[in-house]
Amino acid sequence: MFPSDLTTILPELVLATYGLAALIWAVFSNTQKTGTALVWLTSIFLVGLSLWIGLATTGTKQAFGGAFVDDGFSRFAKVVIALSSAVVLLLSRDYLEKERILKFEFPILVVFAVLGMMIMVSAQGLMVLYMGIELQSLSLYVLAAFHRNHSKSTEAGLKYFVLGALSSGLLLYGASLTYGFSGTTLMSGISEAISDGETSVGLLFGLAFLIVGLAFKVSAAPFHMWAPDVYEGSPTPVTLFLATAPKVAAMILFARLLMEAFGPVADDWQLIVGGIAFVSMFLGSIAAIGQIDIKRLMAYSSIAHMGYALMGIASGTEKGFQAMLIYMVIYTIMNLGTFAFILSMRKGGRPVSDIYSLGMYSRQAPIQAFSLLLLMFSLAGIVPLIGFFAKLYVFLAVIEVGMYWLALGGAIASVIGAYYYLRLVYLMYFGEEGESLDDDMTRTSLITLVLSGVFVIVGVANLFGIIDFSQAATGMLFN
Amino acid sequence: MIGLEHYLVVAAVLFVTGLFGIFLNRKNVIIILMSIELILLAVNINLVSFSVHLQDLVGQVFAMFVLTVAAAEAAIGLAILVCFFRNRKSISVDDVSLLKG
Amino acid sequence: MLFTLIFYFFSLLVIGSGLMVVFSRNPVHAVLWLILAFLSAAGLFVIQGAEFIAMLLIIVYVGAVAVLFLFVVMMLDVDFATLKAGMARYIPLGLLIGAVFVMILGIELSEWNSSGIAPDLRQAIEPDNVQNTEALGNVIYTEYVFLFQIAGLILLVAMIGAIVLTHRKREGVKKQDVVSQMYRDSAKSVSLEDVPSGKGLS
Repeated sequence: MFPSDLTTILPELVLATYGLAALIWAVFSNTQKTGTALVWLTSIFLVGLSLWIGLATTGTKQAFGGAFVDDGFSRFAKVVIALSSAVVLLLSRDYLEKERILKFEFPILVVFAVLGMMIMVSAQGLMVLYMGIELQSLSLYVLAAFHRNHSKSTEAGLKYFVLGALSSGLLLYGASLTYGFSGTTLMSGISEAISDGETSVGLLFGLAFLIVGLAFKVSAAPFHMWAPDVYEGSPTPVTLFLATAPKVAAMILFARLLMEAFGPVADDWQLIVGGIAFVSMFLGSIAAIGQIDIKRLMAYSSIAHMGYALMGIASGTEKGFQAMLIYMVIYTIMNLGTFAFILSMRKGGRPVSDIYSLGMYSRQAPIQAFSLLLLMFSLAGIVPLIGFFAKLYVFLAVIEVGMYWLALGGAIASVIGAYYYLRLVYLMYFGEEGESLDDDMTRTSLITLVLSGVFVIVGVANLFGIIDFSQAATGMLFN
Repeated sequence: MIGLEHYLVVAAVLFVTGLFGIFLNRKNVIIILMSIELILLAVNINLVSFSVHLQDLVGQVFAMFVLTVAAAEAAIGLAILVCFFRNRKSISVDDVSLLKG
Repeated sequence: MLFTLIFYFFSLLVIGSGLMVVFSRNPVHAVLWLILAFLSAAGLFVIQGAEFIAMLLIIVYVGAVAVLFLFVVMMLDVDFATLKAGMARYIPLGLLIGAVFVMILGIELSEWNSSGIAPDLRQAIEPDNVQNTEALGNVIYTEYVFLFQIAGLILLVAMIGAIVLTHRKREGVKKQDVVSQMYRDSAKSVSLEDVPSGKGLS
């Protein structure tokens, strides 16, 4: 039993070993260059790891008595998480160096956060799920407060910590009630216990607490209040990290928990998740309108996007889950591109995040401005760009199960949401020209920005095969 | 006769006390951290009671891990709090509030 | 009968000290109430037969976490009176919401129904004639070794985090460097000088 367990968790094992080795090496050779070297090394390592996970392993393997699983669904998520984290690290290097906070602990904490997310997406038991979430969250709390001499950053860390710990508490309370009902913490056992006889009120309370806890983690309304503050206060590379990989991990976890453990009571949670999705879409779209800080704006944008992705889960069908996976991949790529730009927003060497500083940016840097325009159109879901197709898939999924109100709400919310994306574009092309932004975008940022701009157009052709991958991934979950 | 339900009710009261403490003391972060510890204690009472009721050790193992993580969480939380205090000379989250909530 | 009395004693103590944590004006008192809450919860665990968790609770919480809290409370020079100022306004409404919530949970939990097949789904059935500590030890390093290792990593992250956030390098602090002390020998550090009389060494 034990050797096969170890081969199943080999990618996690390798990543943990890398993290520990890197930590020891960095502590003993602590020089100015260590941080920079480790950022490069870690991102190369993560790319290698994701290639290995994506190409070398197939099939479904369980480990540790069914508490951990390596299947297509988790592998899909792991590849997205590792790749996006590698890009985040590459993009953050320049910003961190300029702000003088590139300590070697940064990449190491990112490694442990990624490890936590990989455990989250593979969790098939409530205990593994909780430990994965905590490993990820504790690393993220520290990262949010990483700019420790900066009062905004530490306040962001504190707020994130308090609400994160609260949500973990709610999640745990739900987990304990679920355990008390079913006598096991394995998802397979829970679903067996539910389908065996009538469900008790205690179990439904457990389900409700679990959903609330996870809704906090994906920052879905009405449990979103931490997101804008934390996004604004954290150092921008950390904001980017928070907006991408952890969201993917939490969403996958959410889907797996609801499907594998609570599949037999799908009718109960479909409505709750649908309601959360509905509120998130509207709140994200409406509250973003008044924002003048671009990081805050992106926070509301991500709340709205989480709403659309949750729609896929609310449908409770294979097609819906597939749509959710596609949505998360597209969302991640669009965010990486947008933040590549936000990371390089500086005036006189100091980072700015005021949207009015974009005034007439198109004249200063036409290529960047056009790429950003494409990304904004795509985020808004405007027709021939890829963001539109991402939304289309989730809409189709919920229409198929007859939740028309959800699809209609989504359509209206995306029209409202289009306003603030278009306002950014308006400012870039027709805004008032003020003091212009510094013209020193790094090559990494430029390449990421332009590539993601290209992606939102070209990707429409076949979505780079994401559909096939997601089909394979969800197929395993539903069979 | 004292049964499972008695323990569950104790845990529920403690859980609500913890939640209540968080919303009541929104300014005082140290009390908030302690309220979170109360919530986790309530969870532990739940887990241990279920474990004893079902005669299954998993609940107690789970409680052990919750305990471990709670200790780690307290350490991180207090570290962030110390950092915040160094910058602000206060532990009130709402005061000045650079980031509007 | 005795068990019933002990149960009510400890559970009232847990709830009472929990409330005092939330309401006490002085944070040092709050920490002490927190310690009392943990001790009485440990008492509840003992009467349920989960001695190991009870002892862990005392060692980890009372020994480490509560001391950490006390340390921070005393280290940070905070004016707590002002922090409490706006609180009184929210108490009545808060108490009402809390009471309703407790009643909902209480009604729902007052009759707990586990699933009929829960006994079959158990993963680690408590063995007979084995001490609680030993029984836990038998599973935690075998079936739950994976979680045990993750717990180790979580503690490592906590350590890295605490160091990264709070450690400050101070300039001008004299530190003992054992290696350089050991590598010091008389040839490099003692020199014999021939002092001319009446002139001295400069």
